[in-house]
Amino acid sequence: MTNDTLNERESKLERLQLIAVFGLMVVGAMFICSATSSSAQESQKVWYAQIWFRQIIWYALGLGAAAGLCMVSYHTLARWSFVIYWAMIVALIAVLIPFIGKTHGWGARRWIDLPFYQFQPSEFAKVAFVLAGANFLSRPPEELKLPENFWKAIGLMLLPFVLIMKEPDLGSALVLLPTGFVMMLVAGTPRKFILRLLAVVGIAGVLFVADVLFAPPKWQIKLHEYQRQRLLVYFGKDFAPKNATPQEKEAARRLQIDRSFQSKQALISVGSGGLTGTGWGKGKQTSLQFMPSGAAHNDFIFSVIAEEEGFVGSVVVLTLYAVVLFSGLRIAGQARDRLGKLIAVGIVTLLFSHVFVNIGMNIRIVPVTGIPLPLLSYGGSSVLCSLIALGLMQNVYIQRRGY
Amino acid sequence: MLVVDELKKNDPQLRLVALVLAGGLCVLFAGLWWVQVVSAREFQNHREAQAYRTVRLPAVRGKICDREGRVLAENRPRYNLSLYFDDLNDQFKKEYERIRPVKITASTPPFWQFWNRAKTMQTNRVKLKQNQIDALMWQARGNVASRAVTELGRQLGEPLALDLKKFMRSYEQERAMPFTILSDLDDGQIARFHEKYHGGLGADLVLQPVRSYPNDTTAAHLLGELRQDDSSLEGEESFFNYRLPDYRGVTGIEGKCNPALHGRAGVESVLVNNMGYRMADDVGTPPQPGADVTLTIDLDLQRAAEQALATEIQKFPGNKINGAVVVMDVRNGDVLAMVSSPVFDPNDFAQGISPEKYRQIQELEAEKNRATFENYAPGSIFKPVVALAALDNGLNPFEIYRVQANPSKPDRGCIYIGKRKIEDTALPGDYDFKRALIHSSNSYFIWFGMQTAHIENIVALGKKFHFGERTELFANQETKGVFPTATQVLKRSGWTDGETANVCIGQGAVDVTPIQIAVAYSAIANGGTVFWPRIISRISSPDFSGADAVTNFPAAQVRDHLGVKPRSLKILRDAMFADVQGGEGTGRKAAVAGLNICAKTGTAQVQDERNRLTGHNYWFASFAPAESPHYAVVVLLQSPTLGGSGGDNCAPIAHDIYETMVRKENAPKPVARN
Repeated sequence: MTNDTLNERESKLERLQLIAVFGLMVVGAMFICSATSSSAQESQKVWYAQIWFRQIIWYALGLGAAAGLCMVSYHTLARWSFVIYWAMIVALIAVLIPFIGKTHGWGARRWIDLPFYQFQPSEFAKVAFVLAGANFLSRPPEELKLPENFWKAIGLMLLPFVLIMKEPDLGSALVLLPTGFVMMLVAGTPRKFILRLLAVVGIAGVLFVADVLFAPPKWQIKLHEYQRQRLLVYFGKDFAPKNATPQEKEAARRLQIDRSFQSKQALISVGSGGLTGTGWGKGKQTSLQFMPSGAAHNDFIFSVIAEEEGFVGSVVVLTLYAVVLFSGLRIAGQARDRLGKLIAVGIVTLLFSHVFVNIGMNIRIVPVTGIPLPLLSYGGSSVLCSLIALGLMQNVYIQRRGY
Repeated sequence: MLVVDELKKNDPQLRLVALVLAGGLCVLFAGLWWVQVVSAREFQNHREAQAYRTVRLPAVRGKICDREGRVLAENRPRYNLSLYFDDLNDQFKKEYERIRPVKITASTPPFWQFWNRAKTMQTNRVKLKQNQIDALMWQARGNVASRAVTELGRQLGEPLALDLKKFMRSYEQERAMPFTILSDLDDGQIARFHEKYHGGLGADLVLQPVRSYPNDTTAAHLLGELRQDDSSLEGEESFFNYRLPDYRGVTGIEGKCNPALHGRAGVESVLVNNMGYRMADDVGTPPQPGADVTLTIDLDLQRAAEQALATEIQKFPGNKINGAVVVMDVRNGDVLAMVSSPVFDPNDFAQGISPEKYRQIQELEAEKNRATFENYAPGSIFKPVVALAALDNGLNPFEIYRVQANPSKPDRGCIYIGKRKIEDTALPGDYDFKRALIHSSNSYFIWFGMQTAHIENIVALGKKFHFGERTELFANQETKGVFPTATQVLKRSGWTDGETANVCIGQGAVDVTPIQIAVAYSAIANGGTVFWPRIISRISSPDFSGADAVTNFPAAQVRDHLGVKPRSLKILRDAMFADVQGGEGTGRKAAVAGLNICAKTGTAQVQDERNRLTGHNYWFASFAPAESPHYAVVVLLQSPTLGGSGGDNCAPIAHDIYETMVRKENAPKPVARN
């Protein structure tokens, strides 16, 4: 073997992943800048008060936090995992209480306003769940065969799931499911449990969608109107019930156009980028505000990248994520123990779920859900959590099996 | 591959996860490929469609000039004071925030903020329903716009008010276009605007070319009318989001030459944002200006003819008098002047006409070009045609015909056709050809028309004059007159002598237009050549290379030859010369010193369907100078109430026109155009 490989083996940090992460941060800062440059409000601010610079500050803070986490072994962290988990549960309950939780005009109570910072507990809860879940599932495989442990694991997952659903933040809640499921699978939960869980979740999902789309109003599960509308938009169903009056139908049709506007514009942005795109800062969709300025640098940042850099840019972003994810899986394979492996797998699945759902909703293979694209979307909580999660992964790598 | 190496060693679960991950990324990759590469065109079109509005830019209409290049129709700039919605958008938002209801609540800080004891006053927005928000937004826009309009009015020094309905419609439908609040600013207003306005109200002056006829009513019928019409012409782009006002010529030269004058409209693309506000403009195809048209008209003669006609009509206040004048160059058929009365101002049609004015025009039928667009009984001015037919068929001009006295009016003559008596205005007595013509004896012309000329020959000659056929001067504004055909006048078709008698004195089955008479008298004057009248001499379209593409319409297009003996023409012309210059002729009032005029007057009865007399056509048809004819002047007046004869009413008009010609020909030629 060459020196290179030896060096890499002996390197403290997983370098390839770090390079990809830095690449994503550069892309993120660049396109947040591009997405907000057309806003008159933004351009009036001094450069250091602009959104793209605030994002860079979040990157710096996140990197600091990640570096800090790497100082202590993940075993130590795991010992505190339930404390963190329950602290997050308390925060998730707190956010549901009016006066503490803030809606910021979005209709969902997701934020707690701290000085200079809008804290979004659901983001942190996802990481806390991975840590706690890994800690719980890292017990010997024999113990996992006990049904009570299976149910405990399910409970561990469902508690934050239900609380986040309550905000409501369907997207963030739903990414917990594959994360928990994959961790249980990798931990070695017996196949019959896994299969049953899969069956139950599958049937429940189908029933849920069928209920929303086809059931008469009285039989429908209570969803927020906008959530129902997003699903209707995705499945291309009419908003108006069959027995509606023409006026109602007309109103519903107009509402539908309104509601499908964002997802339609995202699709137009991505599609019109073509192979090479319009060039950085030259995207028409954002500068003309067809892509709403509130969304362009947040959940729909990918559409900005796709329009301005085209298919080439999209593939670059996908490749960067692929590098992060697969190097994460390799870290899982090299982990010293099952705890480390589960942490790495959990984080990989969590990140992948975000990436898949977010990019998927830009090209309309997934319904619109408010879920950020890790490291690219603007947002303190999301950036901090993504970098903390990646720090944990590096921590696992640092403590990997020696050869 | 390190990743694969590691996975091989590890448990199958991790490999499964890796596979699912790879599968998921492949789905995204394939989806992006489909959206961004395969369907890119479709989405790009969609993006263009929602971000661009196309505006039809009308071309600048070509000029119309007289034969010496003097302008009859041109374009002048019109400045409209307009508001741009995109510039007002911020103010709309601010105003909305200002008028939005708020509630002020006192709140105690929550218990954990124990250090903060003070009660705070908070202003909260009142939650509104969507329709309340919409109404409030309209109110905000209305407030901003009417404030801007009032302020602009103050700056211009005249009160302005916002038409809220128009404003709302314009905002809804043409948000990317300027909204006009005051159109056609005068120079003072433009100066005040530039002096006082310093921005901030979203206002600007928008330039628009507008058709203008500097000579007002002069040559109105000839030039024609414009109608507002912004539809696409053939060969132009047909879909536009917005269209700027454009005009189409419907009558006269504006109508006849519309395809040339109109030019080709251009396209402007306006980039708009999601709200439909204008962001940037970009001219896709510049409009191609219209071609200039040069007419055969002589503005001096046109003015003189109009002036003469108007002066004569003004002599008889209280009478409803219509009239027409045609002046033609007998050598080539060029129309030098063409007048119709009553008149209208073509500026009114191009720049907006008040309903009241329009009603007035309709009532007077002022839009009708009476020189071409109405049939008139010619009366005695048809006698030269009968005379030519008779002379060519052997009439001895010195042969005497005795006109008998009318039993009921012994001082006037008459003639009997079968049992029917036809009255004559000429005295009873002996007439030779010349005397018969200058006194316009009905009896003489009926007698020789029937005995010598015969109706078949009159009709055959009339055919060569092309009576009863259009001169093709204006396609949609010309009547063809009435003239019997060769088969109609056969005995077996039921043709009677009475009808022949009527034709001989220009009544009954004969109707003409002034332009036809001008062509016919030109033929008599020039020795027998019937020309196609010409009014357009040149169309020159401005080319991008700078050189003009010129289409010339050659003069002197021969339509027919009369084929009569020169001797017949000479006898006729001598008699017509005597009619004006002889001192006792009916046309003597036209005489002008220094010019020998040949003419024939006419007074035709106008009857309704039940043969009741409803009025008279007064004619004066002439050419000059007698020795080498150059001009033909035809004057027509029509009135239900006016008395007198063509000699009395029309000859003075011709006199004035001829006088102008003499003055013009004697005047030193101007070195440069005026």
